[in-house]
Amino acid sequence: MMNTSETKKRLPLRCPACEAQLKVSKLVCDRCGTEVSGIFDLPVLTRLSEEEQRFMLEFVKASGRLKDMAKQMGVSYPTVRNYLDDLIEKLNNMEES
Amino acid sequence: MKAFFEFLKNPFYRVAGYTSLVWGVVGIMASTAIAFVGGVHFHGLLHYGGAPNGAWWCFVAEHLVVWLVPSVLIYLLALFCSRSHVRPVDVLGTVAFAQLPFVLLSLFMALPPMREVATIQSVQAVDALLTDTPRLLVLVWIGVVSLLLSIWVLYWLFRATSVACNLKGRNLWIVFIIGAFGGDVLCRYLIGLCY
Repeated sequence: MMNTSETKKRLPLRCPACEAQLKVSKLVCDRCGTEVSGIFDLPVLTRLSEEEQRFMLEFVKASGRLKDMAKQMGVSYPTVRNYLDDLIEKLNNMEES
Repeated sequence: MKAFFEFLKNPFYRVAGYTSLVWGVVGIMASTAIAFVGGVHFHGLLHYGGAPNGAWWCFVAEHLVVWLVPSVLIYLLALFCSRSHVRPVDVLGTVAFAQLPFVLLSLFMALPPMREVATIQSVQAVDALLTDTPRLLVLVWIGVVSLLLSIWVLYWLFRATSVACNLKGRNLWIVFIIGAFGGDVLCRYLIGLCY
C-alpha cells in the first residue's frame, strides 16, 4: 500500500463544485507553524496544466530554441511552435481576465 | 503499431519542414516517373486520366502545378488567417508530403485496365466494356481504390494546413477549402494550357 507521504498531490486549480478558478486562502510555514490567511490569486504560471508547466520548463531550459525542443520531444517544429503560440494566447487571456 | 496509426492519422505532428519537403519531393518525382511511363495525366489536384500531350515536360509541369498552386494559396491565405508565423518551407513540405499517396494513385491509374479505358474512343467499345462484367468489376475496384487515395490526400492536406499554419475551426476550413478546391480549379486552368 502506498504511504501518504509518497502520494503525489496535485494542486487543484478548479473548484470541484462549480469549476471556478480556486484562490489561495491560507499559507502555512511547516517549520514554525505560522499561518497567513487571506484571499490570494494563484500566480499565472501555476494556473497552467501540468503538461503546460512542463513545456514552459523545457522551453526555458532550451533557451527558447524551438528547433532543439522539437528534436528532444520527437515532434515537428510547427507542432512545438503551435503549442507555444496557443500557450501565449492562454497566458494573455489569463492576464486580461 | 499504435504509433504507426497515429503517424498515419497526422504525420505532420512529427514530420514537417525540410524533412517533409525532401520526402515530398521524392514522392513527386516517383509519381511523375510512374505517370509518364503509365501515361497518367493529372488535370488538377483531384482530376486524373488521359490527355493529348504525351511530352515528358507536360507530366513534370502537371505535378509541379498540383504541388505549388495549393501550397502558394494556403501560404498566402495563412498570412492573413493565422496568428502564428508561418514558414514557407513548412507549407511547401507538408503539402508535398500530403501528396505522397499520389505515388500509389499513379500506380493504380497506370494499370492496363485503366489505360485501356483512357484510350476508348468509340461507342461500340464502351458497349463492349459495359457487357464485360469481370473487366467492369476490375475497373470499379480500381476506381474505388483511386477515390480512397484521393480522399487520403485531401485528409492529409487538411492536417498539413492545420499544423503548418496553426489554424483551427472556421479559419482552418476556409483556408483548406480555398487551398484544395480553389487550387484544383486553378490547377485545371493552368494545366489546360499544356494541352
